Order: sequence, then structure tokens, then C-alpha cells
Amino acid sequence: MEWFIANWSFIAGLAWTHLSISIPPIILGSVIAIVMARVIPTRFVTPTRTILGAIYAIPSLALFVVLPAVLGTKFIGPTNVIIALTIYAITSMYFSARDAFRQVPVATMTTSRALGMNSRQMFVHVELPLAVPGLIAGLRVVAASTISIASIGAVVGVRNLGYLFIDGFQRKIPEEIISGLVAISVIALALDAGLWLLGRAMTPWRNAKVARA
Amino acid sequence: MKLKRVTAIALSAGLMLGVAGCASTATPSADPIVIGSQAYYSNEIIAEAYAQVLEDAGFSVERQFSLGQRDVYMPAIEAGEIDLFPEYTGNLLQYFVPEATETTAADVYAALSAALPAGLSALAMSPATDQDSYNVTEEFATANKLTSIADLATLKDLKLGGAPELAERPYGPKGLLEKYGVTVTFEATGDTTVDSLVAGQVSLANVYSADPRISQLKLVTLSDPLGLFLASNVVPIASDSVTADARALIDAVSAAMTPADLVALNVRSVEEKLSASVIARDWLVSKGLLK
Amino acid sequence: MLDVGALGAWFSDAANWTGRYGLVNLLGEHLWLTFVSIALASLIAVPLGLFIGHTGRGEVFVIGLGSLSRAIPTMGLLFALVLLLGVEFRELSVVLALAVIALPPLIAGAYSGVASIPPSIRDSATAQGMTAWQLVRHVELPLASPSIIGGFRIAFIQVVSTVVLAPLVGLGGLGFGIIQGLALRNFAQVTASSLVIIALTITGELLLGYWQRRAADRLGIPTNLEKP
Repeated sequence: MEWFIANWSFIAGLAWTHLSISIPPIILGSVIAIVMARVIPTRFVTPTRTILGAIYAIPSLALFVVLPAVLGTKFIGPTNVIIALTIYAITSMYFSARDAFRQVPVATMTTSRALGMNSRQMFVHVELPLAVPGLIAGLRVVAASTISIASIGAVVGVRNLGYLFIDGFQRKIPEEIISGLVAISVIALALDAGLWLLGRAMTPWRNAKVARA
Repeated sequence: MKLKRVTAIALSAGLMLGVAGCASTATPSADPIVIGSQAYYSNEIIAEAYAQVLEDAGFSVERQFSLGQRDVYMPAIEAGEIDLFPEYTGNLLQYFVPEATETTAADVYAALSAALPAGLSALAMSPATDQDSYNVTEEFATANKLTSIADLATLKDLKLGGAPELAERPYGPKGLLEKYGVTVTFEATGDTTVDSLVAGQVSLANVYSADPRISQLKLVTLSDPLGLFLASNVVPIASDSVTADARALIDAVSAAMTPADLVALNVRSVEEKLSASVIARDWLVSKGLLK
Repeated sequence: MLDVGALGAWFSDAANWTGRYGLVNLLGEHLWLTFVSIALASLIAVPLGLFIGHTGRGEVFVIGLGSLSRAIPTMGLLFALVLLLGVEFRELSVVLALAVIALPPLIAGAYSGVASIPPSIRDSATAQGMTAWQLVRHVELPLASPSIIGGFRIAFIQVVSTVVLAPLVGLGGLGFGIIQGLALRNFAQVTASSLVIIALTITGELLLGYWQRRAADRLGIPTNLEKP
């Protein structure tokens, strides 16, 4: 606790960079995954799924290390970690997004078509809102795991809250490691709660009490 | 399905493969002096000292600290992404010239200056040293009458603990056998090396000589009469974009830092658990380099 | 860009396969750490999941635990455990940190397997005079088995890729090749180690997925293997 109080502004700074490294991949990865889930034709779904599954299996540490060599990006700076985290976010979110869209009942879609909606209207007004619960559920997983995996970036020199783990382990300061653990967990849980609230706000019809059979 | 899995493996392999010809063409940064440091608290304190004297003199500075190990950040320095970096003469020389045989501080420094790639130079080295060293516990040293690495030659079942890369270093197991006839089995203990030594899981440990725990835990550092380790003084590595004014300021920091100072800085870091910036500042003030 | 040659040379060098830190040994260690962690987690997770599914109490707990465990960075948890327990207990620390990752999918698998059993099946079992224990043992557990295996599949994928961190606290496993390769800038070694981990992950996933489908086929339940 003492260490935490003495270093809180330093921790706050690290938390800020941690967020700046994690938020872009969460947004970017999710948007790309949702678009992919919508536009990839059914016959390519199995290969896509297989490729994403294999990419998901690449250890994050290895991906952080080899990206600058593969992409020609700078060796230092957060770019490599942001790209790697975006790739993971896509692999995770793609599956959730596909499930979410598949759960939209076919009957609802047919009805909207019959009501004279065009494809765009159907997507914006029917399909997307109905997929929101599934998308939010997927987004919550992506958000929490991105915040948590980002800390491994500290091993390859991207300074964020993960720095507290490495530095604390070298200097044998348990408080430093625990401060990092608490800070990351709090951020991840806050984001999780925020997304949950967002989901509720976006689907007011689900909160209405409905008599169930 | 199975065939597609194989395709996927091949694809992710492709993603990972393009790994050899990693030539980045980043241009040297223009304005602020980018200062890097290793992911090592002691190195960070030195880098912080450089940063503070430069800032005090009105230079704008960008800190890129805890950039991992040498093999990770050197490409970034060579690519001009970093302008100034606290280094260690012997270890850095071995990075460029693995078979280097120089052992004295002056020889190592001269060889390093010659070995540095174009665009980089070694500023004046500091008397402060921090080098790899082999250590045993006090009990083990007494029981086996150990003072030098050479004394290990008669011992059997020696377990050497150190970072994973020590397995391949010239002063690692291979060097021990060739120079001293000492046979060890290697245990990659990483950041738990000192603890593993104290816990008896390894009998010999590679510890940086300025590590405060050597004195705290009464470890015995074995002497190295045949020069397995190269002398390793703290030395700032600067790119050509660092001006003469800035170099003079850094030289003053290097000159002021004694070997005892460096150990004392490290002690403050692990005992008082202070941040690098506070420790560096206090030290600079005590040396009159900062008001 | 592609340097298949260096990779091939790395794989065909016998020295990289044998010895304390050879591929064979590291692979064994990797599998062992994965196996023990999942086994330990399952001792708690499967009974707990069955209990929650059986009683219908604590569903909120399952969801909350899932969020919490994803939010805790394994590297930090691992370092904290090693520091607090001491290096003598580094194996235990790794196993505990990994078990934390394995818990949520295992609990969720067991829970949702039981929760998705139609009430009519349970009612008829109770009507036949089965005790609560018999109901769990002879009805719920067998019917939930595909979902339980599915939980193991997801736990495996996550644990097997996180064991990579073990060398950071002085243990082995395939992460050694990555972490040592990182320090030595030996990218062939980093790539080779990663490929072995990817192949291991996919092989394990396929085997567990096959087992899950077999279990489901026996019961005539459709399976959805989509989510990783």
C-alpha cells in the first residue's frame, strides 16, 4: 500500500499508456471482425475459421517479437503490440460476431423484407440491434483479454502496466506487482461493466418484463 | 477439414516466417534526444541521470526506457530510433565481437570504440562497473575453499543458474569448460537466479557485480584470473545526432559515478523501493550536477 | 522475407532436439505443466459447475468469475505467486496461475451442460425414484459430458498458449525457445518454437473436439464447435 501511494502518479501514467495501447485494438479488431462476419460468404466461413483458429494459437510473446521483422515496423514503440492485439481481437471477436448474427431469427428478417426495407435498412434497423446482445458479449471478452494480454508487451519493451510486473519481480517488490495486478483488473472490470451497461442501454426491449412460458 | 488445418498452420507459419532480413529503414529522429534503457532497474537509473542533466540544460528529451535486453534494443539503436543509451563496455563488445579477447578496461574500451557501427560512438567510460560474475553462497565457498573460478574445476555436479541466453554466451558453460576446465549443467533461472542460489537449486550463479544482493546475502564472487569475463564499465553510446554540448554533460555524469556509487544507487532501488527518477535526482544533486 | 532455410536448418540440427533444453524435453515439460494445471482446476471446476447447474444457484457467480479471471493478467499473477511463495514453489506457482485460466471454461462447460438438460428428463428421473446423487451420477453427468469436454477443449487452448510464460520464472516448456531466442535474436528458434506450440495447440484442439463430437453423437446431441 505504501509503495502504491508513493508511486500512484507513476502508476496512473502507466495506466494511461496501457489504455492507449489497448483501446485502439479493441475497437479496430471488433469493427474488422464484425465486418468480416457480415461480408465473408458462407463457403469461405470454414477456411476463415480455421485460419483464425491457428492465428489465435500463436503465442503473444512470439507475435510481438516477430512483427517488426515481418512488417518492417519500428523495433521500439507500441505499434507492434497494437497490431498484434488487433489480430487477437479479430480472431476472438469474429466467432462471437458470427454467432450473434446467426441468432437473428430468419422470420424477423423475412418480415422486414416484406415490410419493404432494403438491405441497408434491414441491417441498421433490424439485424444489428438484434445482434447487440451477442456482440456485446463478444466485445466484453475481447476488452478484458486485450487489457490483460497487453501487459506481456512490457517483456518486449513496451512500457505499460506490465512494466510493474517485470520491474517488481527484478527488485523483489511484491507491492509493485500487486499494484499492477489490481490496476489492470480494475481497468478490465470497469470496461466490462461499461460494456454491459452499454448493451442494456442499446437493447431497452430486453429489460421490459415479459411473461415467459 | 484436416487439410484446411494444415493450410492454416502453413499460413500462420508464413505470418511468422519472414524473420531473417529485418532491415528497417527508419530515419534518425530529428528534435528530442531519445534516451533508451535496458529492462534493468540499475540501467534505468543511469539513463534517468542522463535525461535529467540534459533536461536541466534545456535539451528536450524523450525517454524510451526498459527496452528489454541488448539483442532486442541494439537493432533499434542501429536503426537510429534511439540517440543515447547507457551501456557496458565488455558486454557490448561481446555483442559485436563474440570472440573478443580484451580483458582490461582500457583495452575493452578501445576495442569497443573500433567495433561500433558507423553513426554510433562510445562517449568517455565511467569508472563505475557492472559486469557478469560468478557467485556462490558463503557456506558453499567455505566448504569447498573457493575463491576463484579455477577452484571449481575439481567439483562435480555443479549447477549454473542464469538468464536463458547464458547457455549460448562465450562466458557461459562453454567458456567455463574451455578456459577453466569446469563442467556445469545449465539451469535457466532468469530473474530468479539469486533466489535459486540461496534456495540451493543451483550452486553457481551469474549475477551482475553491482547487484546489491551480493553483499546483502553475503554471496562470494569468484575471481576470474583467466579473464572469462570482459571488464565492463558503464559507457554511454551516442548517435551522431547528439551534439557536443550534450556529450559534455553526459561525460560529467560518467566521470562522477564511482563503482561504489552505482552499487549504492542499486541498494536504494531495492531497499527503499524508490523510483529511478528520484534516485537519479538525489544522486545528481549530491554530486553537484543538478541543483 | 521468408527464411525457410534458417528454419529448416534449426529443425534439422540434432542439438536443438536433445538435452535439458532440447525440443523433446521442453515439449514434455510443456505438456506436463498444461496437464497438471487443467487437472487441478478440473477437480474444483467440474463438481462446482455440476452443482451450480443442478441447483440452478450461483449462475451470476459463473459469469462474474469468467470476467474476473480474464481480467487478471497471468504474468503478474505468476510473478506475485513466485515472489510470495518462494522459488522452491515455482512449479506450484505456475500451476496455480494456469489453473486460474482453466477454471472459468471448465465451470462454464459443466454448468451449461447440466443447465441445458430439458426439465422433463430430470422430472422423469425423479419420478422413477432416483435420489439427487443418482440423478447427478446417472443422468446429468452423462448428458453433460459433451459440454464438459468442450470446457476442457477451451481450457486446453488457453492454458497451452500461456505455459509459454513459465521460463520467465526459471522453468522450461516451449516458451524457453521463444524467450531465449528473443534475447539472442535467434528468430529461427523463435519461429520454430512457435510453430511447435501452434501445432500442439491445434492437435490437442482437434483431439478434444473429436472426443466431444463422439460423446455428443452417442447421445444424439448436435454440437457447436465454433467458439475457440
